[in-house]
Amino acid sequence: MADATAVLDGFANALQPMYLLYALLGVFVGTAVGVLPGIGPAMAVALLLPLTYELDVTAAMIVFAGIYYGGMYGGSTTSILLNTPGESASIVTAVEGNKMARTGRGAAALATAALGSFVAGTIGTLLLTLLAPVIADWAVQLGPADYVALMVVAFVTVGALLGSSVARGLASLALGLFVGLIGTDTLTGQQRFTFGVPLLADGVDVVVVAVGVFAVGEALHVASRLRHGPVEVIPVPRGWRSWMSRADWSRSWRPWLRGTAIGFPVGTIPAGGADVSTFLSYATEKRLAKGRHKDEFGNGAIEGVAGPEAANNAAAAGVLVPLLTLGLPTTATAAVMIAAFQTYGIQPGPLLFENQPVLVWTLVASLYIGNLMLLVFNLPLVGLWVKVLQIPRHYLYAGILTFAALGSYALNFSPVDLLLLLGIGLAGFFMRRHGYPAAPLVVGMILGPMAEEQVRRTLAISQGDLTALVTSPFAAVAYGLLSVLLGLALWARQRERRLNEKEPAVMS
Amino acid sequence: MDGPVPTASGTGLPGPPDSGGRLGGPGPGRSFLGRAEEYVIGALIAGLGVFVLFDTATIAVPGSSNAMGPRTFPYVVGAVLVGAGIAVLVATARGRVGAAEDGEDVDPNAGTDWRTVVQLVAVFLAHAWLIERIGWPLAITVLFAGAAWTLGARPWWRPVVVGLLLGLVLQAVFGTGLGLSLPVGWLEGVPLIDG
Repeated sequence: MADATAVLDGFANALQPMYLLYALLGVFVGTAVGVLPGIGPAMAVALLLPLTYELDVTAAMIVFAGIYYGGMYGGSTTSILLNTPGESASIVTAVEGNKMARTGRGAAALATAALGSFVAGTIGTLLLTLLAPVIADWAVQLGPADYVALMVVAFVTVGALLGSSVARGLASLALGLFVGLIGTDTLTGQQRFTFGVPLLADGVDVVVVAVGVFAVGEALHVASRLRHGPVEVIPVPRGWRSWMSRADWSRSWRPWLRGTAIGFPVGTIPAGGADVSTFLSYATEKRLAKGRHKDEFGNGAIEGVAGPEAANNAAAAGVLVPLLTLGLPTTATAAVMIAAFQTYGIQPGPLLFENQPVLVWTLVASLYIGNLMLLVFNLPLVGLWVKVLQIPRHYLYAGILTFAALGSYALNFSPVDLLLLLGIGLAGFFMRRHGYPAAPLVVGMILGPMAEEQVRRTLAISQGDLTALVTSPFAAVAYGLLSVLLGLALWARQRERRLNEKEPAVMS
Repeated sequence: MDGPVPTASGTGLPGPPDSGGRLGGPGPGRSFLGRAEEYVIGALIAGLGVFVLFDTATIAVPGSSNAMGPRTFPYVVGAVLVGAGIAVLVATARGRVGAAEDGEDVDPNAGTDWRTVVQLVAVFLAHAWLIERIGWPLAITVLFAGAAWTLGARPWWRPVVVGLLLGLVLQAVFGTGLGLSLPVGWLEGVPLIDG
């Protein structure tokens, strides 16, 4: 159980005016970034990594947590109001939400998305508060072989299950592992793949890789096939007090809760993150709908917005469980957040709760606070977000390149980093053109060196006996579960694919 | 950014003459060139793996009797790269071409506009080269204005003004305010900018 005083201390800390301001900044930037097409939460955190060198670690984490939750809220606004699907996590919202907006019910769609996100985010954070300390307590007993098993699980699921092609996912993961190798080997002090370049002796900075793959790669990809012409936004009727009718409420609250119940567990296991949970929630709501409401699916059913949006945010909270308790990133955003911790010399994991209780609980408390702020922000300020949505695309992508360049240059004040950034950005560009997912690359780069270290520890303890890697009970169970998980996730993906085939009109 | 701008006036001009040499035709991945690109990438990945395997052999192993030296992990990574590269080649040959990522601003019917990509890369390289010569605020103006112009901002002076303002504000906030040592270059001695 969580130590109640520690939790309360976290709240007292997070409620300090300065930290409240940082939380506000985080959710504001996060929502804006979520609304903006082309910028996902992973890119937003990556772009802001170097800009927080001046902040203390707690403030930085509060900002990142705000961006993380805010991005999830903002994405739904985009997919409901823009004629084209938004962030991957909320594409199913676009199916029903977009249809609702076209028939003049955009306000109800926005409201149920925001309220559902709030309900799910709050319940998810509550579950995180209760579960995380228990898992951390238990995880302290894990040995190095067990960590190797966990990382193998993460590698396989993130590498093989994200994206549409197993081969391309593994290729992306292997590229990330290779980039993680560049630099000086921590144990033996040998330089590996540095090609004699002094700047590479310290390894390639995670910031350069994350910003390169997400920001520069994405900007180049979009620029190469930019949709020209004005940005078409579906107008929303004014007056937010009358947004949801009584019928909308009664049709929404059950999907919110069901979405939460689906999203949180899916988020905690490395099974593809938020996307899978939204599709599962959507399929569930569609199956449970009766009569007239069932016919509305595909033409603007409010359940199809309420459920997936809740699932999306609950999954976002769920992802934080393995991130904080095991140091295991299961999504690209989580991987970049690990990088953020590492820039402060902090390694997330079971010891985090013992060594940095103030930081952890302030972070969790700020999630509750940020969630409330987001609700307040989203409903009345939708007019502002619509304006953000309409930023001319040439300025938007020029701005993304500008901040990417600033962030990388500020690392070492060396133009070499900019060349590295461009090179990685071009790699990201070609990966995007051919269906290579970007997340495994970042996860591989961050987890690779950690995995090598844990394998070494295992073998040092077992005196070179390789069987030690699988004979620990936990590791054995993990590898067993991995096979089950693979089967389950592939099944879920097939469902998702079938769903896509059934809704061919979605992308129009 | 110059704040919220009314939709039509500031957005990418639909007028065909100045939209930057758009090449018509089908999206990548399906065309002959897209296929070729796909094979080249798969081969590059496998090739990188081969390089890793060979280069790993040159990593010096210190004499200490450790269970796992600096070579083991790179060998594994090299092998995975080779395997994944070959798997991609096989999948491509079987017709399982990778689908290009879509997004809100991606026109699914547009062909690849290589001229835009090359221009953006050139602008970025110019930025990297100029930083230490004319200073960060002006170099970032070149990047922003060049990129925005490439993507369709017209008339030309508008992105320049926006970029210059953005560069000066960022320099004042991050250089003068937060103390990042961004070189001021030509703007040396300007109050607020040269902190």
